[in-house]
Amino acid sequence: MKAGLSTKNAPSHLVVLPHYAMGAIAFLIASVLLFFTAKEISLGYGGGKIVSITHILVLGWVTMIIYGALYQLIPVVMEVKLFSEILAYISFVTLNVGTVLMAIHFWNNYIGNSLLIEIGGTLIFVSVFLFAINAGMSAIKSKQRTIENRFIVTSILWLLGTVLFGIFIIVNVSKGLIDISRTDLLKIHVGFGIIGWFMMLVIGVASKLLPMFFIAHKLQRKYLNLSYFFTNGGLLVAIIMFYFLKESYLVLIPIAIVIIGLLFFVKYNYDAYKARLRKKLDVGMKLSVLSFLLLFTTIVFAILSFFKLEVFYTAYGVSLILGFFTSLILGQMYKTLPFIVWLHKYQDKVGKFKIPMPASMYSEKVAELHYYSFIVAIILILIGLILSSIIIIKISAVAFIITAILYCYNTFLIIFHKEKIEDLKK
Amino acid sequence: MLENLTQTEQAILNVIKTVIDPEVEINIVDLGLIYKISHNEADKKIEVVMTLSARGCPVGDVIIQHVETVILDRWTDYSVDVELTWEPEWTPDMITDQGKNFLNM
Repeated sequence: MKAGLSTKNAPSHLVVLPHYAMGAIAFLIASVLLFFTAKEISLGYGGGKIVSITHILVLGWVTMIIYGALYQLIPVVMEVKLFSEILAYISFVTLNVGTVLMAIHFWNNYIGNSLLIEIGGTLIFVSVFLFAINAGMSAIKSKQRTIENRFIVTSILWLLGTVLFGIFIIVNVSKGLIDISRTDLLKIHVGFGIIGWFMMLVIGVASKLLPMFFIAHKLQRKYLNLSYFFTNGGLLVAIIMFYFLKESYLVLIPIAIVIIGLLFFVKYNYDAYKARLRKKLDVGMKLSVLSFLLLFTTIVFAILSFFKLEVFYTAYGVSLILGFFTSLILGQMYKTLPFIVWLHKYQDKVGKFKIPMPASMYSEKVAELHYYSFIVAIILILIGLILSSIIIIKISAVAFIITAILYCYNTFLIIFHKEKIEDLKK
Repeated sequence: MLENLTQTEQAILNVIKTVIDPEVEINIVDLGLIYKISHNEADKKIEVVMTLSARGCPVGDVIIQHVETVILDRWTDYSVDVELTWEPEWTPDMITDQGKNFLNM
């Protein structure tokens, strides 16, 4: 009777590890580019270079890590094997090439279309489509009908919507199919992608993992059910209302419903935090807790940006992508990657040899350092944006670069971990 | 649950104490994961009933395999069956006093 075990369902480590490696590199590249675009960012102007960095972060960093983590976590959450490892490899390659092409296009040319964006966009669509098939087919095989699963499956539908809408925007630029401004179309695109895809997925995965790592029990699952209906229902109504009414204040009603849904998710995980078994948090969990604080700042900036305060619109995006998502990824890397490598290296050696624990596969000191450099970076960039200060944004970019270098160091230390076994009798 | 253990069953329990949960970093006996141990000398059979702290625990079957390995290492001519159960569901109340001390609970 081994139901509930996930190790035997786990995919090859070769499917998962490249995602963590490339994600870390993308984070480093984006941090370096941030330094050279401080002026554009300080102006709150969403020009090509900013869009380029956004795509590197959203696709190369956040999506890349989510893909990799999900290939490992689908067996954990759904208790099934991943549908296809080959699809995962193809999806990985197309995501990488597509991201590079899109980033180059936007860096050089924001307004018009180019062969780069057409090929890049198509590759991203292929990548996302294959990922959606892979995750969706795995979900169909699963007998687990939990709310966490429902969040994950729903996020995949939003992801498909995001990419299809992105392609529609590209086509609309040249063909002029509907008479709605590109900026408004992009806002709908962001709504689909950020709340629909990323948030649903994060809620589903985090609500499974965080209580598991906190070792918290007897949580009120009704909060997750409420979160599901509020976030999805609110988002759907918000997008439809925005299309017809543009930025009417009426759209604030469904947005408020989405925010209430997010707060239910926060409440569920806050209860897990309060009931946690280990009072002392390791750096992975400290970063995860920090991400929830950044979710609050994101919500505040989202509300402020609605009142025509453009500076807060950029702050909202930065707080969400470089704040909430990045903090959660930085933290959860330490709760997933060491275990993936540890299982690969030591699964057959437990009990037979003296082996290291997963937590000893990286430098805790380096992790602590980038925890603090990250806090400095995110606080400074938000201050820099609000004050439109190039110098503060440049200093924050340096802190992001330091964070990324240290994070890369630990990531590659884990990935290239050399097996260390000793005789039990020693 | 682990009451009235024979001397051999207590020895088995002590051996299982060498198995550490890689996430919590305390042994699985003090974590309260072991529900039952039975030892049958005539059939040369050892049975362990245990649970995990969460369904879908990423290192679940490594822990189970570890239990089998440490028992077989000591009782080489026995067959060992480690059964995983989710009933009753594990709760922090099952952690021993020693485990609670380690975790500063």
